Amino acid sequence: MSNLLSVENLTMKFGGLTAIDDLSFDAKNNQITSIIGPNGAGKTTVFNCLTGFYKPTNGQMFLHKEDSKISLRKYTDFKIAYVAKVARTFQNIRLFPAMSVLENLLVAQHNELMVASGYSLFGLLNLKTYRDKEQLAVDKAKYWLDIIGLTHRADDNAGDLPYGDQRKLEIVRAMCIEPRLLCLDEPAAGLNPKESAELNKLLKFIKTEKQTGILLIEHDMSVVMGISDHVVVLNYGKKIFEGTADQTKNSKEVIEAYLGVDE
Amino acid sequence: MEKKDIIQSFKDSLFTGLIALALFGPIVGLRTASKGEGLFITPQWGIVFLLVGLCILGRFLINLNSARKTEITFFSKFTSKFSAITEDKAKHFAITAILFSAVFPFLPFTDRYFMDVAIMILTYIMLGWGLNIVVGLAGLLDLGYVAFYAVGAYSYALIATTFGWSFWICLPLAGVFAAFFGILLGFPVLRLRGDYLAIVTLGFGEIIRIILINWYEVTNGPDGITGIPRPSFFGLPFKRSPDEGETSFHLFFNLEYSTMHRIIFLYYLILVLALITNYFTLKIRKLPVGRAWEALREDEIACKSLGVNPTNTKLTAFAIGAMFGGFAGSFFATRQAFISPESFTFIESAIIVAIVVLGGMGSQTGVVLASIFLIGITEMFRDLEQYRMIAFGGAMVLIMVFKPKGILANRKPTILMHGDKK
Repeated sequence: MSNLLSVENLTMKFGGLTAIDDLSFDAKNNQITSIIGPNGAGKTTVFNCLTGFYKPTNGQMFLHKEDSKISLRKYTDFKIAYVAKVARTFQNIRLFPAMSVLENLLVAQHNELMVASGYSLFGLLNLKTYRDKEQLAVDKAKYWLDIIGLTHRADDNAGDLPYGDQRKLEIVRAMCIEPRLLCLDEPAAGLNPKESAELNKLLKFIKTEKQTGILLIEHDMSVVMGISDHVVVLNYGKKIFEGTADQTKNSKEVIEAYLGVDE
Repeated sequence: MEKKDIIQSFKDSLFTGLIALALFGPIVGLRTASKGEGLFITPQWGIVFLLVGLCILGRFLINLNSARKTEITFFSKFTSKFSAITEDKAKHFAITAILFSAVFPFLPFTDRYFMDVAIMILTYIMLGWGLNIVVGLAGLLDLGYVAFYAVGAYSYALIATTFGWSFWICLPLAGVFAAFFGILLGFPVLRLRGDYLAIVTLGFGEIIRIILINWYEVTNGPDGITGIPRPSFFGLPFKRSPDEGETSFHLFFNLEYSTMHRIIFLYYLILVLALITNYFTLKIRKLPVGRAWEALREDEIACKSLGVNPTNTKLTAFAIGAMFGGFAGSFFATRQAFISPESFTFIESAIIVAIVVLGGMGSQTGVVLASIFLIGITEMFRDLEQYRMIAFGGAMVLIMVFKPKGILANRKPTILMHGDKK
């Protein structure tokens, strides 16, 4: 399995605080790589560096593309999603609450639609080329809504959906930009066991059918252990363990980090 | 209703009276009048007691109303019924409104005064629709919108008086200039949101006005620009006695000369301009850029995570909003034939923002209703001179109390998957 993402010696300092300390790990294509660790371990900071919200103090992040590799450091904010095709979701859901579910998914296809609408010119003239492209975008949205079973609510406001559905919608919205790497920040937070199981199914589907690499931050161990191909454990910004789910479960370091050490 | 409740509400209304007394006492009760030398205080306790009494009575009635098992909610019932009608039958409502405004100049009761008020209301509707793009759709609170109105008016006036070009050439140029200023304002405020953005745009509005006052060589300072050419009806001027080799409107159509011709033409001009603004906004809202504006209003960080370029999106919103402000400005210049910096003070911006917010952010029909309500009421009480601002304030308070989200607050999705269910 080829490498999709390699993080090399990533360091992020906020003033005197070192949130990430010399972190290196790889994520492979068509795999789910989980990043776990106690609160404050620096997991979300890793995501913010990867997706261009922070500029790391040190280190490199590469996204591998066939034979070439592109450095994520070069891109800032919206270009990470637009050029490098790295999509993310947020720990506290960030949908567009007053817009409909369908509109949420169309905003995710903004850049293609913008070109199709001739930067609004063809759209204002109501040309057929644009209308066809828009229909394609709606079809794509419908495809994803069918998968998460929300097609019947496509015209409702996203903010009116139940919490679990909002989580799923945020994930498929990120999928609408056709990412090569999908970063999910605690997608199972606040979900009940049934919803967690559905989430597992969705993530497995994305991994196998869409050939997208997934990077996952999660506290819910049933999700992490159920679907991860690879687990990276952080504590105080340092990588303390890396391995498969089973190896992680039995690792002494990990148990110590979570439960503390006997005196 | 129990006796205890009544006593309770009576006590409450007495307390209200006390507050009213404290407020009205000094403000209304003590009036300074100049008699010969110096100022003297003349007390007006009669009016104070009347006002305080009204407050007590009003509060008591409201308390009684809320103590009833079924409240009398006349006003809110009326307004929600009204918004339901305008939303369900949006198309019929719009067509009726357009037809009415099309025949309005020829209705029997329409006189010069009505026409002037209608033109003023339409100007505010157009400004409201222009600002709605920036505030309602893109969610960028712009308190300096009048600056673009001023840029449009001054560019029209300067181009028309210097080069003598016709209205139809100057109008788009004024729009382009205003759009350029929109981008100019847009760049420094890209990173600002909410209150901070409001403060900077407020400052921008003042900067433009102060430049207009002080740049005497170009803008003629506080004296303003006079003799701005009037628009012509496709080359036919509205003059009683046209110049040599010219045919004026009334001669061409064999009509009796009347100043109303020009007024009616101006009315249709602003009506068409406003309808173009509306049509454009409704269209662009359904395009990717319109959806990106609304998405930006909802959550900028999520927009970035989806690859939407916030810089371009914001700048287009500022530029397009400013462009319509510029169009309205050139209409204002050609209608008045005289402009000075005094027409572009902060209060104008505030009124336009009030129209957009009270109409219901992003609602096109709401802007129309709020303009008619706010400007119309203020005009209706023109005879009361300075007290008419009380009517303006009262109209705002009424909307805020009964429709805190604006007259028409419901947003319709720009695209439907399942079609209209009705």
